[in-house]
Amino acid sequence: MTIAAVEAVDIGKAYGGVAALTKASFTAQAGEVHALVGENGAGKSTLIKIMGGRVRPDSGEIRIGGQAVSLNGPQAAHHLGAWTVFQELTLLPWMTVAENLLLQQEPRSSLGLISRQATLRDADALLARYGVMHIDPRALVEDISLAERQTVEIVRAVSHAPKILFLDEPTSSLVEREVEWLFGQIRRLREQGCSIVFTSHRWAEIRSIADRITIFRGGADVGTFTDIDEDEAVRLMTGRRVEALYPPLTPRPAAAPVMLEARSLSGPNLRQVSFALHQGEVLGVGGLAGHGHRELFRTVFGDAHASGGTLTVQGKEKKFRSPRAAIASGIALVPEDRKTEGLLLRMSVRDNASLAILKRLTRFGILKPQEERRAAQHVVDSLRVRTAGIGLAVGALSGGNQQKVLLGRWLETECQILLLYDVTRGVDVATKHEIYELVASLARSGHAILFYSSDAEELAHLCHRVLVMREGVVAAELHAPGITAEDIVSAAVRDHRAA
Amino acid sequence: MSAATTRKQPFLNRERRRILYAFLAGIILFIIGELVRPGFASPSGIRAILVVASFVGIVAAGQTFVILIGGIDLSVPWVLNAGAILMVTSSLGHDARAIPALALTLGMGAAVGALNGAGVALLGIPAVVMTLAMNGIMQGLTLGLSGGMTCTSCGAYAPPVVQAAVHHSFLGLPIVLWIWIAIIIVVSFLLAMTRFGRMTYTVGNNARASHLAGIHVSGVTIVLYALSGFFSALAGIMLVGFGGQAALGMGDPYLFQSIAAVVIGGVYILGGRGHYLGSVAGAISLTVLVSVLLAFNMPDYGRSIVYGVVILALLLLYGREEENG
Repeated sequence: MTIAAVEAVDIGKAYGGVAALTKASFTAQAGEVHALVGENGAGKSTLIKIMGGRVRPDSGEIRIGGQAVSLNGPQAAHHLGAWTVFQELTLLPWMTVAENLLLQQEPRSSLGLISRQATLRDADALLARYGVMHIDPRALVEDISLAERQTVEIVRAVSHAPKILFLDEPTSSLVEREVEWLFGQIRRLREQGCSIVFTSHRWAEIRSIADRITIFRGGADVGTFTDIDEDEAVRLMTGRRVEALYPPLTPRPAAAPVMLEARSLSGPNLRQVSFALHQGEVLGVGGLAGHGHRELFRTVFGDAHASGGTLTVQGKEKKFRSPRAAIASGIALVPEDRKTEGLLLRMSVRDNASLAILKRLTRFGILKPQEERRAAQHVVDSLRVRTAGIGLAVGALSGGNQQKVLLGRWLETECQILLLYDVTRGVDVATKHEIYELVASLARSGHAILFYSSDAEELAHLCHRVLVMREGVVAAELHAPGITAEDIVSAAVRDHRAA
Repeated sequence: MSAATTRKQPFLNRERRRILYAFLAGIILFIIGELVRPGFASPSGIRAILVVASFVGIVAAGQTFVILIGGIDLSVPWVLNAGAILMVTSSLGHDARAIPALALTLGMGAAVGALNGAGVALLGIPAVVMTLAMNGIMQGLTLGLSGGMTCTSCGAYAPPVVQAAVHHSFLGLPIVLWIWIAIIIVVSFLLAMTRFGRMTYTVGNNARASHLAGIHVSGVTIVLYALSGFFSALAGIMLVGFGGQAALGMGDPYLFQSIAAVVIGGVYILGGRGHYLGSVAGAISLTVLVSVLLAFNMPDYGRSIVYGVVILALLLLYGREEENG
């Protein structure tokens, strides 16, 4: 039997009491393209970070060429011929493409100084060698697009002629043409005997390029396959059938009043957006990242200011100058990044749960501790937050439970309109299921919900209608029943394909 | 350790432990002082040190507020100095004018602090820059308006009641210490039990998340800086009560000492965690340290070096704890 190019054996890693990986293993041979697949939160990114030397594992062993190795930094991995393209890009934004490409191997002049001209020349040659002609090596990284940065990142890794190449979601920000370019590079490396390990959520891509697939669930591998169909893979990834994950959609009452109406709302990355959100309705918002969803949510919530158009809440025209004003009108926002925009990670579950109702819990400026405890306990009990107590720092909870605390914070208010921005991102499947049930039951009880998700499948199953945004415009409106993830994705990318 | 034990909150959590350390340091230093110079830790010796510590402690109350939201107040020296001079020049040493002079001085401190807060919260100026600039402005105003302390009223004494408040005793304690105890109770209550205190901690932990949860972040910020200005001015009043007259540069030591007291007391320098009681312990142990060094006949420059080393050592120690905890 040949010696595997790279092996991960029973890798475990916990972040502050929360296990990201429990016992994760996989083996990739030389000349093999190996896909790591799993739900968000299954631990793939952590595993890649460990293999790339960026994170130290708590337990387990990494073997390269059959030898157990200890990677105490990316440099150590590089010495062993292992290069990684991480999901969070690592380019230095204030330096040029050329400087980034040749970082730490800059051509020197006879005096030992870095030669700008030679750097540019070498970078030009490098980009040309890998068929990337559309990126200017003189451009600052912060001025080029996300897809271009990703491309530069890949060229940099590939240029070192790696023996092992790890790619974490390399295609997530690339469009079709660039994906084909990447696959060309991967095939070339495979022929040269390189072992390529990558993660992806796009099943079609996995099928077209991977030789073998290892599926992860909850921080451990559940099997490696050479041939597996999507349904079976999803079952292994989620532990349940796709349909069972989503609650049945209750049709919204026909004559429900309009709770929130936007007319020709405009602003940065937002052009003439109009929609009406009814009582009891889950109105989905979908499309590719960066096409105005974030701006739409921020504008409705008073966190960004519209340059034009009107916003009407329950029949009254409103101009929110701050989130406070929006909250006073019965609007709540669960923001994109719960760690930086939602929660006070070092503060207790109680402090986080009561944040939006502090005024109600106060008399003459003094907090009523008993009532606050009761409210926090209510959040924990009604949403089944798994925590050792309301005094525990919220940062110690798992992602799913953190999200529940954040949702619970708003359910304690009198809010009628919920703006939910990608609430299931980085949440385990079981909690996802609970959140779906919660969203459905909130709609049944008369809340109006604007629901953005980066997961088209989720939108298709959960929403009465879905607005697909493209370049700040509502490009399509889809009506249930019969919405499919494919409809949403194709509406989101239609113009890209035509161009 | 099992998951259950790691998750339980010990009574002596990190913050309480630090407050305890700071108090213990003060006690140990008193013992050292007594060994070096008998009588150092006599009741009258302790009282004298606590009176000096109270000036630092009062300034540190304001500094605690702004550091809790990740800010800092570098305008302390000249707000304090301006407060001291305004107190004597507006009262001219008459008890009858003491009340309006007090109101004017404290109002000036709060207003200057509010300007600091507005610069930070509304204009987005970094706190270091805003308060440093304000310190310069206050220095210029003070020097200009007092003609470099040559004005006729500049030599006036503090009103006798104010001097009495610092020097006289009530139930065996100087009145200034009663005032400090009252401040400790009020500030601790404010931070621990009120909505305003809770908002202070939430803004310090995550201003963005607080804003999105409907907290009036800029309002809280402005009030906290105003409080810092208020306490600086109050310390200025106490100091003229203590010394009788105002002088140029009398606020200078209080910048470093107030920040040092807050740090020694375990308030997290980037905001969000800590208690005023810690700063109180810090102010006391710092003052005892200075007195011990004086007892050793250490010259001025030597004391400065020791100060700096103590602060660095503590920050290093607390930083370590951060990583492990």
